[in-house]
Order: sequence, then C-alpha cells, then structure tokens
Amino acid sequence: MTPSAFRTDLLLQSMSVAALRHKVIANNIANVNTPGYKALEVSFEGELARHLGQPAGVKPVVTESDGPERVDGNNVDLDAELNAMTKNSLLYQAATQILASRVGSLRSAITGR
Amino acid sequence: MPFNNLLSAGGISSSGMTAERFRMEVIANNIANANTTKSANGGPYRRQDVVFAEVLGQEAGKDALPTFGGVRAVEVVEDPSEFIRVSMPGHPDADENGMVALPNVQLPIEMVNLLTASRSYEANLKAAQTFRQMSEGALALLRG
Repeated sequence: MTPSAFRTDLLLQSMSVAALRHKVIANNIANVNTPGYKALEVSFEGELARHLGQPAGVKPVVTESDGPERVDGNNVDLDAELNAMTKNSLLYQAATQILASRVGSLRSAITGR
Repeated sequence: MPFNNLLSAGGISSSGMTAERFRMEVIANNIANANTTKSANGGPYRRQDVVFAEVLGQEAGKDALPTFGGVRAVEVVEDPSEFIRVSMPGHPDADENGMVALPNVQLPIEMVNLLTASRSYEANLKAAQTFRQMSEGALALLRG
C-alpha cells in the first residue's frame, strides 16, 4: 500500500474547501445587516462526486445566492447560515479525524509496532 | 495550506462583532437622548443611524481562493424625519405657542433595532466559536 492510496490529497482538498466555506459563511453572517448584500455560497461536493476519478482538477465555486431578498436588498438567511456552519464544521472535523487515523496507520507501518 | 487559509476567518467574525457592537452603542445613545432638547448643533437631538458596508476581499485568482473582508460601519447618519411636537408651555425651549420640539427617537423602533443587533452579535460569536473548534481539530493533527 503506497501513501497515495491513503487519499490524503482528497482529505486535504475537502479540508481547504471546508475552510473556504467557513469564511464565506462568516462573511455572510458579518454582513447580515448590510443593505444590498447578497449571500455567497460554495459549491464543491457535487462537482467532486462527478469527477471522483481525477479529484485534483476540481475547484470550489463561490456563487451568489438567489434566495428571497429583504426590503433592504439583503438576502442572508441567518438560520440557514448557522445550520450550514455547523454542518461544515462537522465535515472539517471528520476530515481531520480521518487524516489523523491515516497518519497513525502510516506511523504503525513505519515503526512496525 | 488549509490551516493558513482558515486563520483569516477569525477576523471576519470579529469585524461583524465590532460593527454590531458599534450599532448597539449608537442605539444606546439614541435612547439616552430620547428627551434631549439641547444638542451640540442647537435644536433637539436627532436620532442617529449606522450605515454598514461590506469590506471587499480579493477575487479568486488562477490558483488562489477568493478572500473575504467582513463588514465595517462606514458612517453614522442623522435621521431627517420630523421632530415630535408636544405642548409644554412651562418648558424653557417652548416656542410662542407653548410647543416643544422633542427628538425624533421612537423607543419601540430603538428596542427592536437593539434586539436585531444583539442577535446578529450572537451569530457572529457563534461563527467565531465554530472557527475555534475547527482550528483545534486541525491543531490536534500535530499531536499525532
């Protein structure tokens, strides 16, 4: 089993996308009272699922949300953002845990214990 | 590098908290001056409002991911609406008809704005806490 078979690249990629998504959500929450601000969202997982053979070429895409606007032209949905943030944080933690266990297995293989 | 990239998220949430706290200060000032008939520029106190603007980050480059700047309170504007006129003949600021112009501060509006500001502050705080949890997860990788 070679190190590439551990798919750490895929885990790192999903960690950096989760980090980007957290920033996008934090930006949406910070601008919840900015008139005319349009919520942003990151799409990545769907694209990744379609290119599982070559995941390296898949890039996250940041788009403006087309959800319903308030009177001041802002369309940030605070509940949806908080929910997405919790989900995203769990995804990031899952990726770090899996990465930690893969690195642990590699270490066992190297030390032979 | 995922971790490097994550660190700036703390700044975004804190910019939100700073802006919301500033809004709460302005609202508190409005409430405190709800009956002030002598302001710095003569007449009664005028209700103030904060204007928020998004801080623009960088667009996504060829390889780089886009960056985000959070929010900033850009200016404090005065509410131009009419003063409330009340009949108080004994008041030193009363005109010849005994009417006194009181500030255009309406308590229910201020209280609702205060509530929104406070809830938005909490949401930003939650984002900052989540950021901390995620960073701790990434740091735990170093412990092996």
